[in-house]
Amino acid sequence: SFLKLRNFPFHIKLVCSQAAVFFFFFVCLFVCLFSLLQGITESFGAAIHALGASQLTDGVINRSKRMMLDTLGVGLLGTRTAVFNKALKYRITFCRSSSIWGRSDITLPPCYAALVNGIAVHSMDFDDTWHPATHPSGAVLPALLALAETLPSRPSGLDLLLAFNVGIEVQGRLMRFSREAYNIPERFHPPSVVGVMGSAAASAKLLGLSPSQCSHALAIAASSAGAPLANAATQTKPFHIGNAARRGLEAAWLAQMGLEGNPSMLDMDVGLGVYYNDYSPSTMPDCASGAFRWILEDQDVAFKRIPAHLAMHWLVDAALAARGKLQEAAWNFDLSQIQRVTLRVPPSKYINCPFPITEHQARHSFQFNACSALLDGKVTVASFDPAQINRSALKELLSKVEVKTPADNHPSFDKMYCEVQIETAQGESCTARCNTFYGHWRKPLSQEDLVEKFIVNASSVLCTEGVEGVIDVIGNIEKVTECSVLGSYLRMTSNTLEKVYSTGMI
Amino acid sequence: HFYKLQKCPTIKMLRSPTPEETVTASFGKFISKVKPQHLSSVVLHRSKRMVLDSIGVGLIGSTTEVFEMVLQHCKHMYGHDNICSVYGKRGIKLSPTLAAFVNGVATHSMDFDDTWHPATHPSGAVLPGVLALSDMMPASRKPSGLDFLLAFNVGIEIQGRLMRFSNEARNIPKRFHPPTVVGPMGSAAACARLLSLDSSQCSHALAIAASLAGAPMANAATQSKPLHIGNASRLGLEAALLASRGLEASPLVLDAVAGVAGFSAFYEDYKPQPLDSPHDGHAFLLEEQDMGFKRFPAHLGMHWVADAAASVHKLLVGVGPGKISPDQVQDILLRVPLSKYINRPFPESEHEARHSFQFNACSALLDGEVTVQSFTPGAIRRPELHALLSRVRLEHPHDNPANFNLMYGEVQVTLVGGDILKGRCDTFYGHWRNPLTNESLRKKFRNNAEVVLPSAKVERLIEAVDELDRLDDCQDLLSQLQ
Repeated sequence: SFLKLRNFPFHIKLVCSQAAVFFFFFVCLFVCLFSLLQGITESFGAAIHALGASQLTDGVINRSKRMMLDTLGVGLLGTRTAVFNKALKYRITFCRSSSIWGRSDITLPPCYAALVNGIAVHSMDFDDTWHPATHPSGAVLPALLALAETLPSRPSGLDLLLAFNVGIEVQGRLMRFSREAYNIPERFHPPSVVGVMGSAAASAKLLGLSPSQCSHALAIAASSAGAPLANAATQTKPFHIGNAARRGLEAAWLAQMGLEGNPSMLDMDVGLGVYYNDYSPSTMPDCASGAFRWILEDQDVAFKRIPAHLAMHWLVDAALAARGKLQEAAWNFDLSQIQRVTLRVPPSKYINCPFPITEHQARHSFQFNACSALLDGKVTVASFDPAQINRSALKELLSKVEVKTPADNHPSFDKMYCEVQIETAQGESCTARCNTFYGHWRKPLSQEDLVEKFIVNASSVLCTEGVEGVIDVIGNIEKVTECSVLGSYLRMTSNTLEKVYSTGMI
Repeated sequence: HFYKLQKCPTIKMLRSPTPEETVTASFGKFISKVKPQHLSSVVLHRSKRMVLDSIGVGLIGSTTEVFEMVLQHCKHMYGHDNICSVYGKRGIKLSPTLAAFVNGVATHSMDFDDTWHPATHPSGAVLPGVLALSDMMPASRKPSGLDFLLAFNVGIEIQGRLMRFSNEARNIPKRFHPPTVVGPMGSAAACARLLSLDSSQCSHALAIAASLAGAPMANAATQSKPLHIGNASRLGLEAALLASRGLEASPLVLDAVAGVAGFSAFYEDYKPQPLDSPHDGHAFLLEEQDMGFKRFPAHLGMHWVADAAASVHKLLVGVGPGKISPDQVQDILLRVPLSKYINRPFPESEHEARHSFQFNACSALLDGEVTVQSFTPGAIRRPELHALLSRVRLEHPHDNPANFNLMYGEVQVTLVGGDILKGRCDTFYGHWRNPLTNESLRKKFRNNAEVVLPSAKVERLIEAVDELDRLDDCQDLLSQLQ
């Protein structure tokens, strides 16, 4: 309409139209900038929320009704198929119940017990880590314990331990099919790729499935594998382990009911190979032959001392060492004298977070863990409380941190190192380096320290009898006649503690 | 000179290794056969340490917020609330997630459900979840038919948008089965919409669903394939419910972030685009790109060769007696796109048969059409069909891309006398370029639904869907399904 300013004097017309053009330009720029700033994920969320019935056109209404009709029809017909009946039969597993660790008042169908217990295991990033990288035990144990409680065959402790090891071994074998797996991940979160396979293998073992059924359990599980790394450092990450446990168990049950998948799932690039850029599978040796050797025999796991991503452990050890050195060198050393902290770490985007806000981000932040160590002289479970994360002293120290990724620092849990350099206002500089933290497979936790970690953790919800019962059962598991006794100890809560945790939440 | 023969996995596969030789079988065998005595003392010791540590961290982890949230979710979802209908199964009700699962499996069980471009099966991933969610809602607060229809369309739209982020998606898939990639996302979006979640929760629902996405193509043409759709529907529903309880995930899951893959993990090339805020001119993709509906229960690619072969059948039957005899046929040449998982010379199961150019062409050549009955065990094992199958050759012309929008199917039959008969199909009836009429669609629905429901219910279903946008209460739809 500014083009129709016919009745105005020419010079004013020109000014008005120029102004209008500039205005239009800035509006466009603003809209572009806004949409750039908004982020694609956000735009999808906004659209899903805001779309209203008024946006449905006749064309769309008509076509979508045809789609619904057709879908209902094929669905109704499909209820006559074998595969449907197997899926329906699957509901039987939901009539059984299994224990929830640390709860005396509730049980759930085994798949969901496996889910929630698996989530618990990975909820604080405190569970074991292997090389090549994954969190092997959390994907397997919750499924096995849940399954064991429902089996009429009442498996022994040794049955449980064997199945557990099958689940670990399969994960280890699968990771060795790809060179990519040896480095800190970038695309798929490893527990979501191999974890579900390990759970399926372990569950199949405990169920006593035939060789063919075991293969199909793996094939079915593969269709449940693979979650993107982007959900690491968020509240959803623990679901990767929970779902691995759950869906592996599901796969084994479905295989038992006769469901079949692709019998060459592990052989094909379009099978498990889809999760890797390079994929070179090899057969598993006959376990009866002399050629078979458990991977766990040669490659131990790392147990964490801190509930944070494994890489943080090198960093914390280095930061504590540097802090110690400074305190020794200058007896009136005070943290406010720190001018700059330089961290030399391996390159990995998802654990490089300069100013974490949530506990999940904090557990995946080189900067946060280094600063916590420097401030407090230790990093513990309590270091990730919201109050601790939000401390102003911590935030101030965070602003002095610089991260460098030297070329010789390889993003692999077998080869990486961390270095912390502290420079003070007085011009002093102190550097410490950690090549192998205490708890790494090259420097394993002593049995005493491992049990101590367990006691501290378990005592947060179990009474003494429960804590000691679990230690006893696991310690002697090869001789335990019925492994489901473990479930009863896991439910021995201290009543007061249970009240504290289950009320006032959500 | 010595040349070392390089190990080539594809060559291994062509040789059809015996079960004992495959990697997968070796794993199966190991799992099944390994015994306690195979556990060494080192392994015993180390694994017990792992078990102990794992339980300990699990116990302390049971005090976390995320754990509590999920526990409530499971209690609520999987208690004894068997409230959701199962298609065609009077007297059986399941929890919402299981109902979505089994109904999704039913929908894809015969590969009879709709197909879109870029390629996926959009409705089966969305409808079961939305139905289950509607069943969950109290009787006084059921969604209206229009709310239901809107949620359904949101689920379809999101899938379409996501597939347009990658050129790879335009072609017949090779790596991940598309319903497993975009299906959970669509289901999550639809359920989030029906639950009226806020924008942030909707984003989180998508992000949670992304961690549940992705299954390899290798399970296509097996009995497990239908679970891809069942799981897409179920897991998307779960993602939305978890988001409604406050679970959070990556706020950048759809965006391209170098070094940390989100939804991009499932594609080789990935260029995401933001979705426009809805406004009164918002064009749903379904407006521009219609849906393909299948006339018989097999992979979409089969429909081209079946139509082409049917036209040759007509020519042959016109010439002589009503039945085709394999003895008349010397050679059958199929000109089809190159796609490994639908190239099966001698399928053995119904699942393989639904994914076999050769099988569908020969069935149509023999019978004049392919129907639900063509895939029964008896039909699959017919000797005259087998005779025809052994005369088939495939060619993959350069102008025939593996793309549902561009491909064609050609059948060339050389008779024993030397005559050559040709049939070609560029667009089968049911493709989005040549859509089924409403009568044809209803006829297909009646044929299907009447196998498990009484006619009265079948007609009421047709009516309810037809009037869906005018129904005050979608209960009218929900109550006719079983």
